[in-house]
Amino acid sequence: MKSRIIVLSIILTLLLATSSGVANPGGKGDSNRDFTCGGSCHGDPSLSSPSPAEIQIDMKSTAFSGTATEVSISVSGMELSNNNLIGIFILGSKNGNNDHPEDYGWQIIQDPNGGTSNYVEIVSSENTVTVSWVLLAPMEEGQKEIFASIQHGSMYNHDNKAFIGETDGFIVNIEPIPENYPTLEEGWVSPDERVSGDSSAIIIRTVNTDSLSVLWRLPGESQSHEASVEMLSDQEWEVSIPATLGDTRIEYQIIASMGEFSNQMPWLSIGTSDPYFDGTSLGAKLQSFSIIMIIFGFMLSLQTWFSPRGVSNLIDNTNEVEETISQQNNDYWSRLIKSDENPGWLWDPVEKEWVDDPNLPRGEQ
Amino acid sequence: MMYAIPFHHMIVGLSAGAGTLMGICAFLAWLSNRVSNLESSKSTLDKASYAASILTLVTLPLAMFSGYYSVSDPTGSAIFYNKFIFSGIAIGFTSSYIAGRIRYGAEIWDHPALANLQMLSALFGLTSIMILGSIGSKITLGESTLDILPFWPEFMNSIVINQWVSLFLVIIGVSSVIISFKMMDSSNKSQI
Repeated sequence: MKSRIIVLSIILTLLLATSSGVANPGGKGDSNRDFTCGGSCHGDPSLSSPSPAEIQIDMKSTAFSGTATEVSISVSGMELSNNNLIGIFILGSKNGNNDHPEDYGWQIIQDPNGGTSNYVEIVSSENTVTVSWVLLAPMEEGQKEIFASIQHGSMYNHDNKAFIGETDGFIVNIEPIPENYPTLEEGWVSPDERVSGDSSAIIIRTVNTDSLSVLWRLPGESQSHEASVEMLSDQEWEVSIPATLGDTRIEYQIIASMGEFSNQMPWLSIGTSDPYFDGTSLGAKLQSFSIIMIIFGFMLSLQTWFSPRGVSNLIDNTNEVEETISQQNNDYWSRLIKSDENPGWLWDPVEKEWVDDPNLPRGEQ
Repeated sequence: MMYAIPFHHMIVGLSAGAGTLMGICAFLAWLSNRVSNLESSKSTLDKASYAASILTLVTLPLAMFSGYYSVSDPTGSAIFYNKFIFSGIAIGFTSSYIAGRIRYGAEIWDHPALANLQMLSALFGLTSIMILGSIGSKITLGESTLDILPFWPEFMNSIVINQWVSLFLVIIGVSSVIISFKMMDSSNKSQI
């Protein structure tokens, strides 16, 4: 009986210790994820529902191995939840594991949010979203597939289901790179962001390139401007793009050339981060304490300065108290009466009691 | 710290309430010398302001302490750094107010220059607490009621002083307090 109670208690404790199963209605941020999982139980048919959205992949059907190519994913016709959030995946397969494009030889140079993730979250107030990834094509030649998938909530979603959408594979033929084809070095990724006001140069590494030009533009600007490019060493270039402020994402396009042949790559972008703040915890505490002390010292000095004569010792009544006590003592001793019948004693007519005569102690009688 | 956030919310409410009571009562006590209707309430206003200032001085450091443990990086941005600075200003003025009240008693309001100084200490303390509340609101809600004022800054920038300079300022501050106390002693002796 006792063991049953223990077992039941353990089961009850374990049940109570479990957290309620909730999805992530606010999203979980950009990251590298496989199909379906997406950080929640969206793959479970009882918790998900097909999205009404139409998803379309746009990219060139042919790419040279190891060269930059752009993948655009357009999503339309969906009904998003109040936070207008939609999560978009770019995938190399839909197996449920090892689905990242990098598992199939692709390399993400930049995702739509400026990072290098295969899953991004986008906030859109409209029911159409178009995002682009810039990838380096696999080195291995042959046919490769790219898939897109989405997940989102819905305004009218009483069952709290996740809405899932996916595409069939978009087939890309990876062809051998032409000899001396100018492109980016494998492993190079675009910087995610620069600090606000920072105009430091971007370093670009290439292969088979004898000259490099870079165009830049601000979002929404139709006209592009040429950036200053300086060759640091063989296949290493320093590009000066103007500094940005606020939330601006500046876009730039690399054009690598070898002889008369030029490779115009997709537009990339760099975000702007807040300036670095160099305050420390100890510094803040010291600064705060110094302010307390300076203000306190200053105000005390002002109080002393403004203090009129006689005010500062208003509450120091020691002299008055001492005078009062002395007066009371005099009054007391003056009312005591000597008695010849009782030497060494004084009669207090007020309290009606005998008091020791301090001038004639009883021992001296 | 697990309970730092609810404790911070509670203690911030207390310090804001006590600081407001201190500022308003001190201002009315100062005004009672000029407005005859308030004269009878002067003693009550003085006592209320005094009690509120003591509560403010107790709660402000607790608010700083709990606020420090409520966020992952308490000095990671200018807006958090400003909370430390304005907490220091609020504590400085509140403690000056209490020091004035202890030194001169309730009679401080009978001397115009000292009464002005006392009222300004309380109002500067209250203003600093209002700024602290506004910054806290910016951090948690992203907006503050005081944003409706055309001149209200966002406090997104801060003046960061080098640690060694801060330490030097601490030494100057402590020295100035010691000198002020010495001045008080010599002033008392000369009057006796």
